[in-house]
Parts: sequence; C-alpha cells; structure tokens
Amino acid sequence: MKRLILLGLLSIFAAATIVVAQSTTQATLRTQTGDKPVAIARQGGQTYFSAEDVAAALGGSVAADAHGFRVTINNNVAAFGPDSRFGVVRDDLIEMPAPPVVIDNRPFVTMQFFQGFLAKTADLDVVWDERARLLSIRPLQHTIVGVQVSVTNVQGTSKIVFTLSQNAGYAIVKEQSAYTIRFAAQIRPPFAEQAYEDQNVAKISFAGTDARIQLTGADVVGDAYKLENPYRVVLDVRKTSPGPAAPSVPLAPKSVEPSGIHTIVIDPGHGGKDIGATGPGGLLEKDATLAVANKLAAALAVKLGARVILTREDDSVVSLDQRTAVANQYKADLFLSVHMNASTGKGAHGSEVYFLSADASDDLAKKAADAENQSTSGHADTQSDLKLILWDLAQQEYLAESSRFAQSIQEEMNALAGIQNRGIKQAPFKVLVGATMPAALVEVAFISNPDEEAKIRNEQFQNTVVDALTRAVQRYKNDYEARIGIAQPAAAPGPAATPAQPPATQTTGTARTGT
Amino acid sequence: MRRASLVVALALLAAASACRKPQPQAKNISEANNVAMRPVRLYFEDGNSLLTAELHNLPLPENPAAAIPLVVREMMKGPGNASLARLFPPDTIVRGAYLLPDGTAFVDLGGATLQQGWGTGTHEELMAVFSLVQTVTTNFAEVKKVRLLVNGEPAETLAGHVWLGRSLRPMASLVEPASR
Repeated sequence: MKRLILLGLLSIFAAATIVVAQSTTQATLRTQTGDKPVAIARQGGQTYFSAEDVAAALGGSVAADAHGFRVTINNNVAAFGPDSRFGVVRDDLIEMPAPPVVIDNRPFVTMQFFQGFLAKTADLDVVWDERARLLSIRPLQHTIVGVQVSVTNVQGTSKIVFTLSQNAGYAIVKEQSAYTIRFAAQIRPPFAEQAYEDQNVAKISFAGTDARIQLTGADVVGDAYKLENPYRVVLDVRKTSPGPAAPSVPLAPKSVEPSGIHTIVIDPGHGGKDIGATGPGGLLEKDATLAVANKLAAALAVKLGARVILTREDDSVVSLDQRTAVANQYKADLFLSVHMNASTGKGAHGSEVYFLSADASDDLAKKAADAENQSTSGHADTQSDLKLILWDLAQQEYLAESSRFAQSIQEEMNALAGIQNRGIKQAPFKVLVGATMPAALVEVAFISNPDEEAKIRNEQFQNTVVDALTRAVQRYKNDYEARIGIAQPAAAPGPAATPAQPPATQTTGTARTGT
Repeated sequence: MRRASLVVALALLAAASACRKPQPQAKNISEANNVAMRPVRLYFEDGNSLLTAELHNLPLPENPAAAIPLVVREMMKGPGNASLARLFPPDTIVRGAYLLPDGTAFVDLGGATLQQGWGTGTHEELMAVFSLVQTVTTNFAEVKKVRLLVNGEPAETLAGHVWLGRSLRPMASLVEPASR
C-alpha cells in the first residue's frame, strides 16, 4: 500500500514537472490587422512564442521535417532547428538567445527569431511587453541615431569621422567651400556648432538631419566613404593647391564610361596583431607583404604613372572590410592583395593567384538586394530585382576582368626563376568580396617552406617579384585599354635594372603618382 | 481502500503519461541512440596539395544531427595515413553541430588558436575549411552547405582569408578526382 502511494506521488511530481516545464499560456499578438491570441511558454528565463500562431497572424505557415521547421511568410522562408540558436533566412543568420523548444508538437521560439526574420524580409519590428502580455508586430520605428565627430589631420589631409550608433543612409552635397552630409534618419548631434583649428576644416555644425562642414577655402576637396563595425561616414579633405600629387576624387558615382587603368590599390596582407603566417625561420608574413607591397607601389607609380594607394603603409591593423572600402572609396580601377602562403606540408612551394569565386559574388548580389529591400518599402520587390540584376551584371563583368588580371599575374610569376606557378584559382576570400573593380590576390611564395622563406627575405628576390607584378599590371592595363578602344596595346616593360625607389612621401589612403 | 488507492495511482500515472505526448525530438533522440558502426570518409590534404578521402569506421547514431559532430571530431584527430596532413590546429575543438531543414549544417568550432587568431596562410586555411565542408557534405546527404561558427558566434574568417559570412558548399577543384 505504502509503495503504491509513493508511486502515485512520484507520478504526480513527474506530471507536475512536465506541466511546469512545458505549459503554455495565452498572450495577445497585435498586428496591423488586429489582435489575436498567441501561445507563450517560459523556460530557462526565456519567453517563447508559438511560431505557428505568429506565422498564422501574418498569413504564413510553419512546416516540420526531421531536422526542424520552416516558417513561410509572404513567400519568404526562414528555417530553425531544435538544437541551434541560429536560424537562417536567405543565408543570413538569425541569432536567438536560446534554441527553440517543442511543446506538444508545436515549435516555440524566442521573439528574436521573428525580429530577425521580419526585419530582413518585411521591414517589421517585434516588441514584447511583459507587463501587458502583448506581442506587437509593427513597422520598424526609425530611432534617433547618435552621432560622434572626430577631426584628425595627417600630413595635410583632415579626416572627419562621423561615428553613428547604427546604420543610416546619407547623401553629400558639395558647395563652394563646404560639404553637407544629409542623414536619412533623425540624429542626435554631439554639439550644435564647433570650430576647429585645422588647415582644412573651419567648423562643423548640425541642423535637423544635416551636418555641415565649413572648409577653410574653396581649394579644399574631399573624398567620402563609409566604414562598418561601427558604422562611420568618413570625409577626407585636403587642399589641392600644393601640387598634383593628391588629385581630387569626385564624390559623384564612378563614370559609366570606361576610362582605363589609372588608380591601383595595393593591399599588403595582414598587419599589426594579425601577423599572418610565420616562417620556420621566424619571418612574419605581415612584414614580407609590406616590403613587397611598398616596392610594388613605388614601381607602379614610376613605371606606369599610375595613382597608387596602399591600404596600409606600416605595421597597423586594417580590417578586411576597410581594405576594399579604401579601393572603392578611391574608385580604384584595379585591386591587388599581396600575401605569402603557408601549408602544413613543408614541401609546398610556388606562387598562386586567386580571384573571387562566383558563388561568393552571387551571395554579395543577394545581400545587396536584401539591403535594398530593407531600405525601401512598397515596390521593394521590383527595386530589389532590378538592383540584383544590375549588381549581378557588374559583378560578372568584374569577375571576367579579375580572371584576365589573374591570368596576367600568373604568366608573369611563371617566369620567376625557381618559383613554381601553381595556377589561377577561385575562392571566397573576404578581402576580395565587395571590391567594385577587377581584383586579385597573389600568394608570392610559401613562407612555410624554409627555402622559399629564405628567398622571400632576399631583397633581390623581392625586386624580381615586384618586376613580375609590375609587368603583369602593365600587360593587363594595355590589354584592357586596347579592348575598350582608348589605347593601343604596348609592350610590357622589361625587367627593372635597379630596384624601384620608394617615393619621398607616402600616406595610407592618399595617392602617389610617378608623374 | 487498497483498490481505491490503486485506482487513484493508476489514474495519476495515466494522467502523467498523457502529458508526455510523442514529439519529433523524442523520435530524434531515439534515432540518436540507435548507434552502429558506420563507414565515413574523412578528408585530409595529400602530397598533391589536394583533399583525399580516408575511410574510417565509427560508432555513429542514426540521426545525422547527432552524428555530424562526432564525424567532425574524428576528422580533427587527424589522418591515420602519415602521408596525409591534419589541417586544423591541434587544439581545435568541435563545440557542437546542428542541422537545419534547408540543408544547412552549422558546425561550431572552438579552441585557443581559433579564438586568439590563427596565423596561417591562404592555402592551409582554404584546405582546412573545405576539408570540413567536404567531409560533412560527403557523409550526410541531407547537408547541402555548411556554416562555420567560432565559439558559438559568427566569424568573419578563421585566419584572415576565407569568408565565413556565408554558407559554404564543397569545392570540387580542391579534391582529388578519385575522392570526389
């Protein structure tokens, strides 16, 4: 008898545990079409919402299979699984504080799932009011964006950085001696007006959604670009009068008409705490790439008369995004990232040339279309499709040109004595993603191979590599300009008799020319 | 009285079991426990700088979501054949793996080297990333693409080159023809 009573109590306890852990209650779901009930559950300090109830309220549905669930709303599909706190929509991640749970065969997710899903696909926000037990789905409120401003001057160029608390669109208006940055959001300025003792910037003032930069004269020109993480709008301004070494870059979009290869961005891989690979003799990839890139920049400026920009000129950290941002900012015609290779196999040797793989480029096109979707409403689909098509066409053109550029590099590197050419390859390399010009990455040699590490250290070898890369750029330039009908093919320059001398001054992000 | 107690206890048991409705995840757990020796193909770099499959037999559960982390952990141990090379840093750990209905497998990696910044070259990073992608997609037909995380968070790259901000599909050009 006692045993039976004990069994009964245990059963009650077991049943109660299940009920407590997996019980659901009702709350209210408010959408633009009205209020509906939504089942919610609490576990581990999280509040979970019935995915079916939320999807149904928005005219969508949830389907299950062996690995998880698919939520479809307005033909947009997001997936989540029972063990993962990451969901996926259009290959973008939706991050949740805890994995979804299943209660009575029904999937429940935290509100972050729908926040991510609806923000990416429908410009909707999801807000949970615990006190009122009310889940609201409403158009995204465009909140006030905080703005911080800094002005620094490096060798005559004033860098004005507007750091924003979140992503916001902007437009720039150029006046005779001022720039106005018009933000597409309400902003919280750090001050109404502030004067600067700077050779280019007289004062900065805010009014409404505008930031006005008063320049010291009409001869001050600038380049604007944006950086992310954190989101920043940067305006580099400088005087044009000292000479032609720093020609102005117009803020207008890149000309549709092709005009040849004039501006080249050279990217020395790694830098700062990102040392890259280390050779068995202790040579650091970041030092070797900088040495070669510096020589290459000087050679291209001298021999091609090109405007050459280095993404870094010293042992500094530059993010991968910033490297292509610099190239885009200067509307470069060519981008070359310089690296030294490494492999677990000590015998691995030779040079390799990479350009971006097509699937990575496709992903970029999708992201661009998604971004377009987020920033528009109403006829978003049409604009998104158009953006996708235009972006895709542009990327296909860049990829085709990148392939030709890589071919030129491969052929010239092939002629290097003692360095085996391992061919042209395509790969999803982050530093090539987002470059709006032909772009390639060259692996000069294997720093992990003791013999090749010794070669990389050798200045004469570096000069030989620089000669080969210079000839490759010249060949590609001649070929490209002949194809677009603005120049006749010319012979590639011969090997340099002496190492190219670095220019007298060089500043990251500013131009150098050999003319 | 005894009969009445018995009836009450049985009624409570019935009520308790009624609360435990069968769920999809319960089915998965059942599959996860159906462990059997299964052959898997693990990919490592060979002397031609390409990925070659090495056959291993592993005790694996039937459920792919449960089996994926076990297969990747086995790959991290390195090859049995001395002519093949282990690609990931030796301290790499597999924190977990998940499979979503759209065919995306998440593999969450960790370990001091990946966390602090892996200083290696393009080739080694490329081969490491795609050895994992190739291993998972080859052994699990449900997996179409692989998304890598580091310490449970999205990562830009493992060593400064290969973009991890997207799901990766296998690259046949990196694999020996006989192992494709």
